[in-house]
Amino acid sequence: MVCSRRFFTKSARTIRQALFVAALAGLWELAARAGRLPALLFPPFSDVAVALAAETASGEILGRLTFSLAMVGAGLCLATLSAVIVTAASMSAQIVSEWVQALMAILHPLPGIAILPVVILWLGTGNTSIVAVIWFSAMWPLVANLHTGLRSVPATQIEVGRNLGLRGARLVAHVLIPGAFPHILSGMRVAWARAWQALVAAEMVFGASGGEGGLGWFIYKRRFFMEIPGVFAGMVVIVLVGIVVERVVFESVEARTVRRWGMTAE
Amino acid sequence: MRRLLGVVVCAAFLLSWLGLAAAGGSVSAGSAGASGPPQTQAPAQAREQEIRIAGQFGLVYAPLMIAQKNKIFEKYGLKPIWREYGSGAAVREALVSGEVDVGFMGIPPFLIGWDKGCPWKAAIGFCVVPVGLVTNNPSIKSLKDFRPTDKIAVPSPGSVQHILLAMQAEKELGSATAFEKNIVAMPHPDAAAALLSKKGIVAHFTTPPYMFEELNQPGMHLVVDDVACFGLPFSFNVGVATTRFHDGNPVAYACFVMAISEAMAWINVNKKEAAALLAPEFGLTPEKTYLYLTWPGMDYTTAPYGLMGFADFMREAGYIKNVPRSIDDIAWENLVAFIGDRAGGPSPIQQLQFRR
Repeated sequence: MVCSRRFFTKSARTIRQALFVAALAGLWELAARAGRLPALLFPPFSDVAVALAAETASGEILGRLTFSLAMVGAGLCLATLSAVIVTAASMSAQIVSEWVQALMAILHPLPGIAILPVVILWLGTGNTSIVAVIWFSAMWPLVANLHTGLRSVPATQIEVGRNLGLRGARLVAHVLIPGAFPHILSGMRVAWARAWQALVAAEMVFGASGGEGGLGWFIYKRRFFMEIPGVFAGMVVIVLVGIVVERVVFESVEARTVRRWGMTAE
Repeated sequence: MRRLLGVVVCAAFLLSWLGLAAAGGSVSAGSAGASGPPQTQAPAQAREQEIRIAGQFGLVYAPLMIAQKNKIFEKYGLKPIWREYGSGAAVREALVSGEVDVGFMGIPPFLIGWDKGCPWKAAIGFCVVPVGLVTNNPSIKSLKDFRPTDKIAVPSPGSVQHILLAMQAEKELGSATAFEKNIVAMPHPDAAAALLSKKGIVAHFTTPPYMFEELNQPGMHLVVDDVACFGLPFSFNVGVATTRFHDGNPVAYACFVMAISEAMAWINVNKKEAAALLAPEFGLTPEKTYLYLTWPGMDYTTAPYGLMGFADFMREAGYIKNVPRSIDDIAWENLVAFIGDRAGGPSPIQQLQFRR
């Protein structure tokens, strides 16, 4: 009963938000048709929908999307792996922790796209460079959140775990990680967002790579051929992917972990 | 109830704004191109006509720099406002959004805009310059030698360089789109650096001075040049004027054409002085600037070349959907008059608008 009511309120919220977005789309349509802005640069929403449908039907969107997701996936895997290694090292010795904090202070504020010129010089223009930029963008928020998360697990919880006979990997798996999970989750959210931003930005700077290119290249190319509805269509796809990942992946992980464990206020 | 009222008020507000927007749009279109956005309106005491000009950077734009330095526009009673953009597409967007009145871009970006309905036509030819595909791989002698993984840098999709590559691909490989997956878009300086350090790209379709600098390095050679691709020389750039500016300010339009012509003529007559004047702008010595200004193939001319040749090819290859029925679809009167229309078959100048 409780469950169904929650489902009901949640879907009602989704419907309200969808209606709001639909109203915005309507306003967009009206604003474009009012004719004050040049129609060539600000197409009505319906044109964008038509372009989106055409690009989807031709398989173009799917190909670009697959490419982009593969790049983000590779970058995020590398970032997670290296963040875990760095955090483990910094948890093992105070001096390493200080080094990591210093590195973080230096590198975390640096947007991934800012290291692009150097990456091009070192790695050339290709998929490797794009993955490198994504890795860099996603790694530091992950390290920062893992670090703070693990440090914020109360000493008493760790003691309780030890008293129950948990040591090493089991202590990490059963006490430290669940204790740090709210931070880990928000770290993953930030990492995902930054990875995605880095991908699109890098593709727009590099142009295509390895012959295919993802959604960033798609938008870039449409812009140069002045197919502005196509530009917006690419943006809509990026937004949709963001919504799906947030609503499906992160919210369900959240519901199954921190919310079930009673770690959030909501 | 109150909440509903709030929503209604908001909606009414937005709708009225849109209504005003529409009205405002038609009013400003009626009072025409003189003014543009209110903040750029000339104060009452200034008698000069303001003209906002979009250029790009490079040796090609030398006449614009000369016009600026020698105050040639001012001589014709114009008050030029110079804007610099990074690509033909950016110039195109500036023209469409009304940020500028006239702009300089390659024929392909111009035609892509025309195809999509941009209200503009070509006002003046602007420079014939050598363009070429430079490679760092000695074994590449023709387009057939590129492997599927080899990357070719062009300034942007839909640029002159991209279209020339497609033309040559059609000639040599039978398919205009053979290299669609090989191209990467890079600004000239980045691509030149990547080519010389052999990082990532094997070839660069480029223009002076980058082309000259690259060919001066050991191990670099030219695969094809512009004339091989197009068959004839063509205008690397054209000056484009919006309908709003052309119709709204016929006198300013005429002055613009004259000022560019005078700048171009001055370079041709005073190449040494032009080189000395422009050297600091390019960060080169006057001698090197002179060498580049007088490189075989460099031709500062207002004559238009190749307008229809690009249109025909781009239509066939699917880059645009429409093709101009006649030159006056895409060129203002001064160019139409310049090209002429010879009875009993095309004149040499008419023939120069097409590919061979």
